[in-house]
Amino acid sequence: MMVDVLEEMQTLVKNASSKSRGVSLVKRRAKNPNKPAAAWTTQARIGTEIGTALSIVLSTEGCAHARSSEGGCTMCSYLLDGTSMNPSSDELFNQFMEAMKMLENASSPLSVKIYTSGSFLDKEEIPDEARNLILTEISNDERIKEVVLESRPEYVLDPILEEVRSLLGNRSIELAMGLESSSDLIRSLCVNKNFDFAAFKESVDLGKKHDIGMRAYILLKPPFLTERDALLDAQKTISDAINAGATTVSLNPVNVQSNTLVEFLWKKQRYRPPWLWSVVEVLQYAHKAAKGAARVVCDPAAAGKKRGTHNCGRCDTSIVNAIRQFSLTQDVQAFDGLQCECRNLWNHTLTHEDVSFLVHR
Amino acid sequence: MEMKRMTEFRVGRGHDGPARIGEYIIGEEVFQTPLLTGPDSIRKSILQIRYMGRDLTLPNPGIVAIPFNMTPDEFSNVALGDSDPILLPSLVSFASLDNPASTLLLRYQLEMVEKSKGTIDPSRLILRVPENIDVEDFKSIIDEFHTKGIRSAAFVFDGLLGSTDLKSITLRSTLPASWLTFALGKIHPSIIPLLYYTGFDIIDTGYAYQAAASGVRLWSNDSEQIESGKLPRYCSCLACKIIDEKYSSEHIQALHNHNLNIYSSILSESLHAMKSGRLRWLVESMTHVSPNHAALLRQVDKQTYPFIEEFTPTTGADVVPLIGPESYNSPAVRRYREYLESRYTPPTGKQIVLLLPCSAKKPYSDSKSHRRFLETIGSALGRAAERVAQAILTSPLGVVPRELERVFPAANYDIPVTGDWDSEETELGAQALITYLNKFDANCTVVAHVSGGYLGIVKGAESQVSQSIIYTTPESSASSWDSRQVLHETLTDLKGVLDLKGSQPKQLEEIVRSTADFQFGLGAGELLVPENAKLGGKPYRQIVCRIEKEQICSFIASSGSISLTLSGAKLLAPLNRYWARLDATQVKGGSIFAVGISEADSEIRPGDEVIVLNNDDEVIAVGKSEMSGREMCELNRGRAISIRHKLEV
Repeated sequence: MMVDVLEEMQTLVKNASSKSRGVSLVKRRAKNPNKPAAAWTTQARIGTEIGTALSIVLSTEGCAHARSSEGGCTMCSYLLDGTSMNPSSDELFNQFMEAMKMLENASSPLSVKIYTSGSFLDKEEIPDEARNLILTEISNDERIKEVVLESRPEYVLDPILEEVRSLLGNRSIELAMGLESSSDLIRSLCVNKNFDFAAFKESVDLGKKHDIGMRAYILLKPPFLTERDALLDAQKTISDAINAGATTVSLNPVNVQSNTLVEFLWKKQRYRPPWLWSVVEVLQYAHKAAKGAARVVCDPAAAGKKRGTHNCGRCDTSIVNAIRQFSLTQDVQAFDGLQCECRNLWNHTLTHEDVSFLVHR
Repeated sequence: MEMKRMTEFRVGRGHDGPARIGEYIIGEEVFQTPLLTGPDSIRKSILQIRYMGRDLTLPNPGIVAIPFNMTPDEFSNVALGDSDPILLPSLVSFASLDNPASTLLLRYQLEMVEKSKGTIDPSRLILRVPENIDVEDFKSIIDEFHTKGIRSAAFVFDGLLGSTDLKSITLRSTLPASWLTFALGKIHPSIIPLLYYTGFDIIDTGYAYQAAASGVRLWSNDSEQIESGKLPRYCSCLACKIIDEKYSSEHIQALHNHNLNIYSSILSESLHAMKSGRLRWLVESMTHVSPNHAALLRQVDKQTYPFIEEFTPTTGADVVPLIGPESYNSPAVRRYREYLESRYTPPTGKQIVLLLPCSAKKPYSDSKSHRRFLETIGSALGRAAERVAQAILTSPLGVVPRELERVFPAANYDIPVTGDWDSEETELGAQALITYLNKFDANCTVVAHVSGGYLGIVKGAESQVSQSIIYTTPESSASSWDSRQVLHETLTDLKGVLDLKGSQPKQLEEIVRSTADFQFGLGAGELLVPENAKLGGKPYRQIVCRIEKEQICSFIASSGSISLTLSGAKLLAPLNRYWARLDATQVKGGSIFAVGISEADSEIRPGDEVIVLNNDDEVIAVGKSEMSGREMCELNRGRAISIRHKLEV
């Protein structure tokens, strides 16, 4: 049976992901439980205006999927940002307040995005008490017009959404969810993420009921795909996500993170992060597919570096700038006039890698 | 109702190593192999390779790659109105995971084959071999694909000429002879002779564009970065007329065209070399492109020798150049050394073994130096010269007994002569000499009439042989007048000391018997030249062997081989070697095709003298093989044996 072969392949990926973690999990240090893992601000489009967005990564025990024998996602080591000790509700709140200091002098409109390297709505990770403290704090800040909360679909439950909506009033709210791919085969086999597209759609629908939007994170180039496989899958996923009702699509070009399966393949010369040309291609497509009904954003990590999405090295900066510009303005003209000799190589990679199965580096 | 579309690969005539020519039939169209393939190709001579639904589909046939997760319905859509070969789906890089990742990819493909049953003829499906799969794992699953009718496979090359590329060649060597093989990936023109030599029929030119887009012009032995202000290499090809160093799409196109010309040119050169028996030489000459090229060939020789040897003809070009260390273990050379070890028995009655240096002219007897050696031996010993076994020391063959000096490649090889030997040559020579001398009685006396590098061989062997060795002229050239005087004196002395007796000249018998053993295996000489045989003729032309006026066989000096008559074949048949069984009572026409052969001796190589048997084990013909014994069994087409004599009914 074919299903059996696929299941065995899946198991292999799971084990390989687990193995790639190596000792990195055990060696995670206990961090200061009162400081977030990371926090940064960027310019962002908030509603129709441009304002400041604060992204907070709370230091928690991290993603349950990655900590388990399931191995976690093939490209993700965000859980390493977390701590080995699960912080208390007070400590989590302190982390939040620490990050909020960055907005002290900022003026409206503001956006606050809360990530945890796991799920903000997971009670095991963020106890009800901490969640309530944080959301209440936000509701008291009139400058904050937009809130983004990260979660996997299984934690998106009706009562929790109801509570979130009631605490945050009429602010714009989005759930942030790593859909990665709308293909269940690619999501499970290449990403090793174990939910299906149907669960994503349920979460979107549940969100709609409470006027909560969906920010879908879409992965560009998980392992075991050719550059063109990856490009086409990201485009299809974007269409599917928008059709399902996503309010924002955020494109994540894979970057090579430590202690991941992707890094293992990359070191063996069997993986190359996506070309920036692919990112541009997907964003242009997404812009067309969104027809103004959904935002299209992309903030590529390690862009232009060899572990991140990159081109030849000569054109990377201008293309990354264009990507940032587009994310901010939603104006696809940001991509006009981009040109470099390496575009021919990229084009060649799309066709030749596809048929030869040699990873083009 | 759709016509049933299929593809077929027909192996043609000729071999030089596993390299072959053939016809790849796709629907109505016939492509000659070896052949180039590539994406987005506009050249008719290059078979297009494309991804279903992603690349422009040209009206001419092409290889089609399909998505990994294709459903059976989608799969059958591919089949409609189409005869294009299909690359079975796989996942890139997945084989890098632990076992059994590669096997799973193959099992997945097996199931796709199963799913497509009834909609797609399996002859159209191409197995995609996961890179670096364990050879034993691969062998254990390949039969299943064969049983299901798959007849072609694609292998990946990363162009580093390291372990992955070596593995792909090794994996290819395990396939049935009837399979068509693709080499895909990064393939520099300089590696094409080796790929063709190791049996790849269709070769990817994708790198031609990749190089062009990076401003690189490819040559058969080099890569040239085109830079402004730097004078480009002269090129006579049309494409290069418009190379102007400025980056533009025309510039890339010109470079691409040039690069493709180089691919076509080197493939054509390889094909011609194959036809003239010089492919091995071409492959060896390319080892100087880079140390990696040399390392890869050495590894290929070491790891796939049985495969390469199996398809290496036992006859060949008039001149076989053996130039560097890459030749020491070329299959014809190594096979010679191994046959000498396993198939050679010294003639009886020898009391002296005389070791002589080789000569540039072949066969040695035709050279000035050897004519003088022979004179010296004759004048010193007279008819007692029959008691002397002569052996010529040489690199890289090792030892050539006088009786075998006309066999291939002993009569054909040509080496650069400097008088200096490297340690590997000396070691190979010493080993061969030990093997050779151990075939003689311990009471024999060895006379080493050699100096310089040859002396190193004898010294290297001395401690491991049981005979005592007399050195005639260690300090000066063996062919000088003075040295020959010493040889004369030594032999004269020995004649007295050993009380050497004269005997009937046995040179013809020794040549025919030794050659028969060398050609057919131990025991053949005695079967073909029994005590009552009569031999006539000249060693340098032809020796005919008769028993009671019936011709048995003849030794042809120009090829150094034995031709059998039907009577000879009957005498030889009990040896149970070099036979092929024809599934018919008699032979019709001048050749036998592989399709008619039900069984054949796996020892048969292209160029061998072969006995044709019928199902009752009766000899019905003799002829010359055009392919290896395994191919005779595995191929359904192609000329297997060119008949020399057949039973007239």
